Amino acid sequence: MYSYLIRRIVMLVPVFLAVSLVIFLILHFIPGDPIDNLLKVGSSPAARAEMEARYGLDQPLPVQYGIWLSKVVQGDLGTAIVARRPVSDLILQALPHSLRLGGLALLFSSVVGVGLGVLAALNRDKWPDRAIMGGVLLGSTMPSFWLGLILMLIFSVWLGWLPVSGARSASALVLPVLTIGLGGTALVARITRVAMIEASGRDFVTLLHAKGLSPLRIQLRHVLRHALIPVVTILALRIGWILGGAVTVEVVFARPGLGTLLIKSLSQHDYPVVQACLLMLAMAVMLGTLLGDILQAAMDPRVRAALA
Amino acid sequence: MTMSIRKTLLTASVSLFALFAAQAVTAQEAVFVLNTSEVGAPTYNPIKANNLNKATTLIFDRMVSQAADLSFHPWLAESWEEAPDGMSWTFHLKPGVKFHNGEPFNAATIGPWLEAFKGSENAYMTEAIAKVEVVDDLTVKFVMARPEPNMLYNLSSSFMSVIEPKSYAALGDNYGVTEVYGTGPFKMESFTVGQETVLVRNDDYTWGSPLAKNTGPAHIAKITFREIAEDSTAFLELKTGGVDMLLGVPADLLSEVKKEPNLAVLTLPGQDVYYMPINVTKAPFDDIKVREAVAKAINQEEILASVFGGVGSIADTFLISALPESHVSDAAKIHYDPARANALLDEAGWVMGADGVRAKDGQPLKVSLWTQSDSIFRRLTEVVQAQLKAVGVEAEITTFDSSMIRDQYKTGTQQLAVRSYDWDNADIVDWFFGADRLGYPNISMFNDPKAEELRKAAMTGSKNMAERVANFTAYHEYVLTQFPMAPIYQPVESVAYNADRLVMPTELNAPVVGSTAVMDMEVKE
Repeated sequence: MYSYLIRRIVMLVPVFLAVSLVIFLILHFIPGDPIDNLLKVGSSPAARAEMEARYGLDQPLPVQYGIWLSKVVQGDLGTAIVARRPVSDLILQALPHSLRLGGLALLFSSVVGVGLGVLAALNRDKWPDRAIMGGVLLGSTMPSFWLGLILMLIFSVWLGWLPVSGARSASALVLPVLTIGLGGTALVARITRVAMIEASGRDFVTLLHAKGLSPLRIQLRHVLRHALIPVVTILALRIGWILGGAVTVEVVFARPGLGTLLIKSLSQHDYPVVQACLLMLAMAVMLGTLLGDILQAAMDPRVRAALA
Repeated sequence: MTMSIRKTLLTASVSLFALFAAQAVTAQEAVFVLNTSEVGAPTYNPIKANNLNKATTLIFDRMVSQAADLSFHPWLAESWEEAPDGMSWTFHLKPGVKFHNGEPFNAATIGPWLEAFKGSENAYMTEAIAKVEVVDDLTVKFVMARPEPNMLYNLSSSFMSVIEPKSYAALGDNYGVTEVYGTGPFKMESFTVGQETVLVRNDDYTWGSPLAKNTGPAHIAKITFREIAEDSTAFLELKTGGVDMLLGVPADLLSEVKKEPNLAVLTLPGQDVYYMPINVTKAPFDDIKVREAVAKAINQEEILASVFGGVGSIADTFLISALPESHVSDAAKIHYDPARANALLDEAGWVMGADGVRAKDGQPLKVSLWTQSDSIFRRLTEVVQAQLKAVGVEAEITTFDSSMIRDQYKTGTQQLAVRSYDWDNADIVDWFFGADRLGYPNISMFNDPKAEELRKAAMTGSKNMAERVANFTAYHEYVLTQFPMAPIYQPVESVAYNADRLVMPTELNAPVVGSTAVMDMEVKE
C-alpha cells in the first residue's frame, strides 16, 4: 500500500512539469502582453523597453520558463505585473472563497446526488426513477453560466429571497452553490443509481435475501455500501473540476475567488497571476485524482489486496 | 438521538433565516457599482497606479478641480500664478486642511509628495518640475525645468491626488492597499481588491471643490463601492435594490434601465471617441484620395441613429468636442459626403463595376476591416461595412478578441479598423499618430515630416496653456487633413441610479460622477 502511494506521488512530478510547461507556453503564445496595460498615454518607446526589462519579459522564452519554474518549485509564485503585489497574496485572498464555494457545492452534490440515485434505484423503471433521471439529464446539460442567470432571475428578481450577487452575506452563497452543485448532482445521481442496480444483482445480495433480511435494509446497508465505491472515486475526481467549473460562476455572481482572479488577470495578460491560478487548478485536479485512487484502494478490499 | 437531530436542524434553520433576512440599509448609506473598466484596480496609491477607480476621487482631494466644460478651478490650491515665460508657478494653498490621520496639509506637504513621483509609473506628470520652494506655510513655488502648459490638467488628474507624505513613506507598498490617507470627503474603512471598498464620511471635511454646492461634510455617511465584472449581474442588482447606483451602464442595457419605473439615468459628456484608423502605408490607402473617400463615406448621423439610438453625438474631429483643441477650421472637419467620396475614387482610377465594387487595372477594391469582439463593435463595424459598400468599397470584417487586438495592430498589416479610445487631453493625437509608435498605438502607421514638426511644437514647444492649445489645434488640424482615420461617434457616459433611494444634484458641474457629484448627493430617508 505504501509503495503504491509513493509510486503515485512520484508519478505526479512529470505530470506537474508537463502541465507547467503547457500553461507557460499557451500563455505566451496568446497575442498581447501585460506592458500594453501598464503604458499610459504619452510614455515613450524607451519607457516600454525599460518596463519589459524590469519584468524579465525581454528574455528568451526558455530562460523565462526556467526562472519561473525554479521559483515556483521553491514556493515563490512571483510578483503580479499589473496587480503589482506578490501573487501568493492574491491567491491566498482568493482561495478560501473558492474552497468554500467548491466545498459546499461538492457537499451538496454528494448528499443530494446519492439521495436521488438511491431513490431512483429503489424505484427502478417506475415514475420516481424516470422523473429523477429526466431532471438529472436536464441538470447536467445546462451551461452553468446560463443556469446561474436563471436561478438569479427566479430567486432574486421574482421571489426576492436571495441577494443577486456578491459575498456580503452567507445567503449570497446559496445560488452559486446551487449553480455548481446541480451539475455535479446529476453525475453523482446517475452513477449511484447504476452502481446500486449493478450491485443488487450480485450473489451476496441473493444470499442476504435468502437469509430473510428486509429488502430496504439490504439496499441501504449492504448494496449502497458496495455502490459507494465508484461514487466516492467520482467525487474525489470532481474536487479539481469544481474549482475549475467555478470560474464562470464566480464571475456571474461577482464573487471573489480564483475564477474571478483568473479571468481578470487573463484579460490584462498578467502572466504570473494567470500561471499561478492555472497551476492551482491543475494541482487540484491532480491531487483529486490521487485522492480518488487512494480512497478506492482504502475502501475496496480487492484493490487493497492487489496492491499489497 | 432523534431529539438532538431535530434540535440541531431547528437551530440551523433559525440561524439560516437570520442570515437570509435582507440586510436592512440604514439611513445615509449607499452602495455603488464601479464601471466594469475599473474592476480589479489593485491599489488606491495614485502615484504608482496605472488604473484608479472612482472611489479614489472621494478619498483624495486634488490641487485643482475640473468643471464639466473641462475648465480649471481652485480646490486645495485657492489660487495660482504662472510666470509669463512658463518657468515657474506659484500656488496659494487652502488653510485648515487636514489629512485623515490628523496630519496638516500645507506647503511642507508638496515637496515630498512630488518627490515620490520620481521613478514611478506616473513620473512624467511631474518631470517638468525642477524643484519646489516653500515660500511660506501656505505658499509654494514650482521652479520649472521647462514650461509645462499641461500643469493644471496634471494637477486635476486623479493620479495627482494629494497623498499624505509621512504615512506614504512609512507604509511603502501597503499604502493604498491596507491603509490610505488623503484629505478627501471619505476615509477608507476596508478594501478587498476586485470585490469591494467601504468608505465612511470624513466629518471634519469643509474644503470641498467650489464646483459643488456642498463643500463639506458629505450628506452620505457610508458608501460601499462594489466591483461587478458582469454587466447583467450589476443591472439585476440595481433592479432588485441590492445596489443604488451603477457608475457605468453599457449602451445595450440602457433601454432595460429605462423600462424600470424606479430607475433613472444621468447623462454626462463622455470621454470616448469611436473612429476608423486607416493604415496610410497599405495600398490602396497610400493614396490620400482613397483615404479621404473612405473617411467621407462614413455616415456619422446614420450610425448615431441606428447603432446608438440617437444617444451621444457624431464625431467630426479626432478629439472629444469639450476640448478646445477640437475647434479646428470647418474645412478640416470630416463629414459624410458621398458625392465627394465617389468623385475622389473615380479620380484615383477606381471605376465602379457592375457588381457594385470598384476596380482598377482588373483588381477589385477589396480591403480588410478589423474590429474587436465586443458586441457594440461588431454591430458598428457591420454598419461601416455597408456604408463603404455604398461607395463601391468591399470591406471584409475580421474580428479579434479585445484583449489581443493590440498585438495584431503591431504587425502593421491592418488596412481599416473600427475602435475607440477614452481620453480627455489633446496629447492623445501624439499618442495615436506619433511616428515613434508605429503599429500600436499608431495603428494608422502615420509618419509625416510636417506632422512630426507640428507634434514637437505641440508637445514640448509651448510656454503656456494658450500656446499649447494653439499648437495642438494646428497639429490636430494638419493630421485631420491627411486622413489617417475617420471620426465616427462620441458617446455620452450614462450613470443609472435608483431614484427611490438617491437624490442627485440638479446641476452637476463636473466631467464625471466623482467627488463633486457625491458631495451634493443624498439618500432618501
